[in-house]
Amino acid sequence: MNTQYKKGVLELCVLSLLQKGDRYGYEISERLSETIDIADGTVYPILRKLKSDGLVTTYLQEESGGPPRKYYSLTQEGLETYKNDRAEYLDFARAVKGLLEDEEK
Amino acid sequence: MTKSQFLQSLDTELKSRCLPDAGEILEEYEQHFSFKLAEGYAEQEIARKLGSPFEIAAQFGSQSPKREAPGGRSAIIAGLCLASVPTAGFFLLLAGWEIIVACFSLVSLAVAACLLGGISPWGLIPAMPGGIAAVYGISMAALSVLSAAGCVYFTALFSQLVLACVRCFKNAASTGPHLPPLPVVPRFSPKTKRVLRRTALLSLCVFAAFIVLGMALSMMESGSLGFWHAWGWFESGI
Repeated sequence: MNTQYKKGVLELCVLSLLQKGDRYGYEISERLSETIDIADGTVYPILRKLKSDGLVTTYLQEESGGPPRKYYSLTQEGLETYKNDRAEYLDFARAVKGLLEDEEK
Repeated sequence: MTKSQFLQSLDTELKSRCLPDAGEILEEYEQHFSFKLAEGYAEQEIARKLGSPFEIAAQFGSQSPKREAPGGRSAIIAGLCLASVPTAGFFLLLAGWEIIVACFSLVSLAVAACLLGGISPWGLIPAMPGGIAAVYGISMAALSVLSAAGCVYFTALFSQLVLACVRCFKNAASTGPHLPPLPVVPRFSPKTKRVLRRTALLSLCVFAAFIVLGMALSMMESGSLGFWHAWGWFESGI
């Protein structure tokens, strides 16, 4: 699938994962690549963009037997953006789905 | 690609894009490697699944210009336009000085030729014994060489200054990666530098020696300290 096309949706997917709870970068990368076919390296630029847009913040947390992990957490603005974008996307996806399935009949 | 190769190449790509937090980004990918290695993956496979460092860096790079203040660039351009007025004036002045030095060199050469050849166009060269005229002629020729060397140096300095200035303006106006600033002193090859310096020094010495010798000979020949009075140099016109 077209990478440029996927990238826009991936931001929404990352927000969705973070809405359920704080996660560190690798965790997000793993969860996404489980379901969507993307290069593992794609997730980190998205996280950085979300951070510079003010939708997520980061904090370091000590882990036993390893370097501290950088956790990502949704901000209030991020949560609102997520809710808004999610509704928009679902509407859009529903419309596209209806259109495409209609053609097959 | 191994882990160190991947990180090295990503580091280079990120730095070429002037990303301010390249270290932080690299750390994230380093951690990705440690997690995957702990799960038993081979370095090569992890690197392959991450994608090419060039493409990853490109994804970071495409975000940075957006954060620039919208008025920033036009303010810089306006400032540069203002600064270019005195800069252009300075360059005009320097170019004028260069032309003066070049003319001086040519005139000295012409006077030297007249003195050595014993010609006095329009009676401009005052009368003097032939031997002394030759001594003055040599000193004038040396002066011509000295100013020619000076002219070569000023021309190089001028073009180097223009290049450095253009580079500086370009860097200030561009949003992309900055080029290193150029030195303002002209860059000659060691050989050219040596030849230029030797020529200037030698011609200066010859000029000084022969002008003093010429004056001493003139005084002895005319038997007067003010030999120009004895020979009536400045009276002919009256």
